[in-house]
Amino acid sequence: MTQMDSVVLKARNITKTFPGVVALKNISFDLRAGEIHGLCGENGAGKSTLIKLLSGIHPSTSYEGDFWVDGARARFRSLADAERAGIAVIYQELALVNDMTVGENIFLGSEPRTRTGLIDWHKVYHGARLLLEKFRVEIDPSAPVAQLGVGQKQLVEIVKALSKNSRILILDEPTAALAEHEVLILLDILRDLRQRGIASIYISHKLDEVFAICDRITVLRDGSSIITLPTTETNRSDIIKQMVGREITNLFPRRASKTGGPVLEVDKLNVGNERTGTQVLFDISFSLCAGEVLGLGGLMGAGRTELLMHLFGAWGERLSGSVRLDGREPGVVKPDEIIRRGLVHVSEDRRRYGLILDKTIAFNLSLSSLPILTKNRLIDQGREFEKNRYFFESLHVKAPNLEALAGKLSGGNQQKVVLGKALMTEPRVIFLDEPTRGIDVGAKQEIYKIINQLTDSGKAVVLVSSELPELIGISDRILMLHEGRMGGEFSRAEATQERLLAAAMGREGDFHPK
Amino acid sequence: MKSLRQFSLVLALVVVCSFFAVMSPQFLGARNISLLMTELAITATLALGMLLIILPGHIDLSAGSGVGLLGGVASILIFEHRWPAPVAMGGALLLGIFIWFCMGNLVVRQKMPAFIITLGGLLIFKGLFWLVIHNSTIPIVEGGKANLYSVLTTFYLPPTAGYTLAALILGFLVIAKLRSRKARQSYGFAVEDREMVFLKIFLTAQLIFLFVIVTNRFRGIPLPAVILGLVAFAIHVLTTHTPFGRYLYAIGGNEEAAVISGIPVEKVVVGAFSIMGVIVAITGFMQTSYSGASTTTVGDLMELDAIAACVIGGVSLKGGRGTVMGVLFGALIMACLLNGMTLLAVSPEFKFIARGVVLSLAVWMDVRLSR
Repeated sequence: MTQMDSVVLKARNITKTFPGVVALKNISFDLRAGEIHGLCGENGAGKSTLIKLLSGIHPSTSYEGDFWVDGARARFRSLADAERAGIAVIYQELALVNDMTVGENIFLGSEPRTRTGLIDWHKVYHGARLLLEKFRVEIDPSAPVAQLGVGQKQLVEIVKALSKNSRILILDEPTAALAEHEVLILLDILRDLRQRGIASIYISHKLDEVFAICDRITVLRDGSSIITLPTTETNRSDIIKQMVGREITNLFPRRASKTGGPVLEVDKLNVGNERTGTQVLFDISFSLCAGEVLGLGGLMGAGRTELLMHLFGAWGERLSGSVRLDGREPGVVKPDEIIRRGLVHVSEDRRRYGLILDKTIAFNLSLSSLPILTKNRLIDQGREFEKNRYFFESLHVKAPNLEALAGKLSGGNQQKVVLGKALMTEPRVIFLDEPTRGIDVGAKQEIYKIINQLTDSGKAVVLVSSELPELIGISDRILMLHEGRMGGEFSRAEATQERLLAAAMGREGDFHPK
Repeated sequence: MKSLRQFSLVLALVVVCSFFAVMSPQFLGARNISLLMTELAITATLALGMLLIILPGHIDLSAGSGVGLLGGVASILIFEHRWPAPVAMGGALLLGIFIWFCMGNLVVRQKMPAFIITLGGLLIFKGLFWLVIHNSTIPIVEGGKANLYSVLTTFYLPPTAGYTLAALILGFLVIAKLRSRKARQSYGFAVEDREMVFLKIFLTAQLIFLFVIVTNRFRGIPLPAVILGLVAFAIHVLTTHTPFGRYLYAIGGNEEAAVISGIPVEKVVVGAFSIMGVIVAITGFMQTSYSGASTTTVGDLMELDAIAACVIGGVSLKGGRGTVMGVLFGALIMACLLNGMTLLAVSPEFKFIARGVVLSLAVWMDVRLSR
């Protein structure tokens, strides 16, 4: 019974569905007092959804199953409910107000008042100092948050969470942006909190950290909780196997095409983020041949989308390196020029970057190709219609006609319209960023068929996918990125889910000691 | 939703016109219709330029000041520097293109909100305008003679020319309508019934000839109406039949998607602003000519009438939605309102209040209907 008594948070049979997708299936797990519990899983395994349930973002009425806090049923209808239950979430994106001081941030929304109702600034800074000292964080409470490093901000956020007497701390990729020594400080503080009886859920792609700090590890896969193991009874390879463990079915009818010469050559590319001034891609080199599908994999934040968007001319600042398209260096040019040179990009976020939602299918389909559809500077409406109809029919877009609004289509059909828009420009290189995300199996099949047709006609495709089976099934070669660097390159024959995931985690050595 | 909006537009127009017709019998008289057409032409031309700015999601608050400034520049060149009218107007036109080209560049390259830049423009152009005309009244022509500038609003097409023009336009409209219907049919799109098409053409024909008959009873079709017709035709072709026009809608609908679709967003927006420069100049010439001279109040608040005409005509201030026909309707409502109030000798205080109320109503309607 003592074992049961020490469980502070219990989840039983949690099932959460979104329209068309089951995000969580019958999740159950226990969080014990004073333990650090690791949560591992691939992108889309359900970690983020689970956190959103615990923090009250998705209210308790929107899912099935029960949570228990300290043995009592807990319903998180709102963020406030979760906070009252003692749950605090530290998100990947920090939620501090940059223009305020550390003290102001810690007491934001719960400022101590004087008798006259004004903010008691003395108590704010004194209280903040006591809290910071209590958790051995050496930061001046009167310092503006904007002056702190990412690691220090993270610590302030944790102190802020604990100031509300939270007993359950959830950390979502807390070290993603931290330097090595900051990670060590954070881990020390978490160990200290464990001593004080605070339970933590620690979500990270970095298995080193998970093994260094967690008492137990739960693996999520495809929305289910697969297994919970004490850290001492498992190892990295085992966890990776549990994370992938999916069957590769013949859902992916890839047939290799005849490959031609290289059409896109990237050599030692270094790219920075203009806005933050940090480097995002390091020494990326690869080449792409006509008739070939190059798979591009990696975990969230590995730099896949950034790489494609940069090559497409829509993102980032080139620090060094060269890019050759059809043997010629296009220079740093904008998307309109790149499209004219035969490279086109289909974004992962079709509603945001792909479609003009309140315009018709016809408007969207021909949007990128208007310069080649004009006669005497006017749009040749006959030819435009023929082209639109061709792609509308050959891609099997399911809609009454070309004048249906793009925003009213299902995800799969929207994706086909975006694809049709890209293909109408008659490209030689096509970037597909997560082309099958959020669309049903039938539409996925059609997308795979289209990819085969494209390579058969000598076009080259770069495919980004978070689903390893899809990546292996449809690619001729696979490039894994790890934190902006090359994590490994694999031929189709060499690729296994375990090897790819290990490369994405920067741990290829675990499987192929050299 | 679309038809509801169109219906409410027509209804508003009918209500406004009937009110003024009842209150003042002259309102529908030949002389007043002719004046109304000139006023409409001025408001609507500026509003059509505003359409090009609002479609990609921007706004131009400096248009009214610009109208005064460019009209004033042309006046000064003619009256003080003895330039021939066509050359002076050409110079002011180029200045307009240059100024709006620069403002467009500030908007897209420096990422400054158009609201702020054109608000600055409103003040700067107003100051420049008063400097240029030395806070006085500058005639547009010397000693009562006529020049190109002065005839802008005093020339009328002779009756026969009016009828010929009306017949030509009608013929063009009928052919365009039938061809587009046939094309839509061959592409398998839904088309209107034969009867409906006939009815529409018949009504349009009646309106056109009624317009010519009425204006001919005064002096003929006023030149500004012809200018408006040309501008409206050009902007209609631009917005519906060129890549440039499609891009305006795409940028207003979803700018990020427009960039990824390979639309040269910066060039397109700068292009729209440059065309606005042309429109502001043309409006400036007509408005100054209509006033008879360049004085400090020319162009006051015209940007707001133009924006109001757009919004009343169903142009979304968020961008991406709006048509030439809608703007013409909106401008007609605004022009009727202003003209009617002048006819009833409404004092300026109440004119301001009425314009404000109409503008607010129009935005409220826009918000309600675009939800």
